[in-house]
Amino acid sequence: MSVEVAIGGRAGGFEYEVALEAGDELLVLYGHSGAGKTITLRAVAGLVRPARGRIAVDGRVVFDRAEGIDLPPQRRRVGYVVQDAALFPHLDVRGNVLIGVERSAEAARRWAELRHLLEVEGLDARRPQQLSGGQQQRVALARALVRPTDVLLLDEPFSALDEALREGLRRELLRLQRELALPILFVTHDLREAHLLADRIAVMDGGRILQLDARDRVFRRPRSRRVAELTGVRNLWEGEARSGEVIVRGLSLRTPPDSRLRGAVDVGIRAERCNLRRFDPDGAIPENCFVANVVEDLAFGNTHTLTLAPEGAGPRVLAEVAARPYEVLRVASVGRWVVELPADDLQVMPRDGSGG
Amino acid sequence: MSAAPQHAGRGWRARARAAPGVVRRAWVIAPALFALFFVLPLLGLLLRALTDGDVGAELRSSATWTALRLSVLTATLALLLAVLLGTPLAFVLATARSGWARVAATLLDLPLVLPPVVSGIALLTVFGRRGYLGEPLDGAGISLSFTTAAVVMAQLFVAGPYYLRSAYAGFAAADPRFAGLAYTLGLSPWTTFRRVTLPLVWPSLAGGAVLCWSRALGELGATLLFAGSLPGRTQTMPLAIVAAFESPAGLAGAVSISVILVGFALALLLLIHRYTNAPGAYR
Repeated sequence: MSVEVAIGGRAGGFEYEVALEAGDELLVLYGHSGAGKTITLRAVAGLVRPARGRIAVDGRVVFDRAEGIDLPPQRRRVGYVVQDAALFPHLDVRGNVLIGVERSAEAARRWAELRHLLEVEGLDARRPQQLSGGQQQRVALARALVRPTDVLLLDEPFSALDEALREGLRRELLRLQRELALPILFVTHDLREAHLLADRIAVMDGGRILQLDARDRVFRRPRSRRVAELTGVRNLWEGEARSGEVIVRGLSLRTPPDSRLRGAVDVGIRAERCNLRRFDPDGAIPENCFVANVVEDLAFGNTHTLTLAPEGAGPRVLAEVAARPYEVLRVASVGRWVVELPADDLQVMPRDGSGG
Repeated sequence: MSAAPQHAGRGWRARARAAPGVVRRAWVIAPALFALFFVLPLLGLLLRALTDGDVGAELRSSATWTALRLSVLTATLALLLAVLLGTPLAFVLATARSGWARVAATLLDLPLVLPPVVSGIALLTVFGRRGYLGEPLDGAGISLSFTTAAVVMAQLFVAGPYYLRSAYAGFAAADPRFAGLAYTLGLSPWTTFRRVTLPLVWPSLAGGAVLCWSRALGELGATLLFAGSLPGRTQTMPLAIVAAFESPAGLAGAVSISVILVGFALALLLLIHRYTNAPGAYR
């Protein structure tokens, strides 16, 4: 099954222009609030009518502005789950799940199946207020799936829950995705959640998709400085790209082999990708390395974030070191380090996000 | 920031604790006095009715029953109309996004602050025999003023906004995302309204209905001006009480009928509360 979206319009105070396709996969729409994630889901569900564009679910055109096609939400075969306001407070669990389906043996069988799959057995007669947050979201998922569903739309379904519960539900969602084999569009502003769940990620900002790629590609090869910023890249510098190398603050760094950009570029590297090596006064400084001193050391429990200032040429670097290597290397007692920025982890992007 | 008021709070409590018993007791006495303000007149009414009046005779009098029947009939009709016409109106006004809807909602509140006498005059200007609509209607053989229909209209005009206001607040507060969700679950707009929205706003509707009906039952000023006080046709209980008060029987006659109306209203209120708080009722 699949979902194809190419829509544009105005919602609230901002313009949006979104195009994406998803197959049997979990596609995460990631971005801050106001990025256009929720409006995209609501358009697919048929709850808002975009000014232009086309939406097809499993090959069926459910919306086409030019052709005047606009199927009502009732006939789009979408499952929709939102963060809060998930369950109808005046109905019990069974009433909530079966509100939109004809009473039949088939419906009862389907509900029994989902009840088992989502581990909400024995709760039929409970009111939503009598359920835990996690149970409420499971029931909401079951309700979204009890009718024939071609695409599942999840709008921050777990963000009202505490971290431990979220962890479990995410794992279950991954299992569910494998069993159901249907496209899931998952909206979140939580980077960790996006990374854990996504097959592919659409990074959204200001009503647009800045990059839509396989998860690792988005994290390793952001298309622009803005994508890098949104995906948590903390080292971003301006540089000058030449053949096979990029000059950052007077330091030449070898670039990844797939980097073909020349001229003014932005260069980024994730803080956890920067390596620290012991400084050897007699040894030569290897490729993509430079000597730097720790000027700040912030402890975050399981990680430390070090700020390193270069002795000669090179940029100021934020490096994240896990607690264990931090102790083994005795970082706290050594000020001078050789910082390595591995070529393969360097992100070379066009300046100002132009082109791509 | 919060330390200062907290400290002041402790000081205030400490001072209250150290204060003489009279001051401390004032916190109990003041509300008790306020409650008495409401209870005493009712007790006075009851006492007067038992000593001076003749509640038994009034209960046996067919005139009293006629007035009571008319009151219940008209108030119930007014409520029915308010619910039937007011619920869709409140829904549309609460869910419409245009600024005009907000203006209209404010205008509909106006009868709440209007003196009922003014409401009666306003109704006369339009529906009275010489009114803008009343005159052509009169020509067509339809006369509204000084009929039972006029009583219902007066009550609807005065008491209807109470229901409208409450229903409007309920619909406006209901989360619209519930309706959207219901659509994605295959429910038609009408089914969604019936099975999702209505149950969600039920407490507001029920509360508004009780207010509206109670207000209609007690309506006097607008009814008197627009419908008059014709026994059997437009003389509801409040009007019968005024008529009794102005008759030779005076206060003694008025208190007896008043006690009957109060007793009836009280019994009904208790019944309603029992029903709406019962398990199984929408909450």
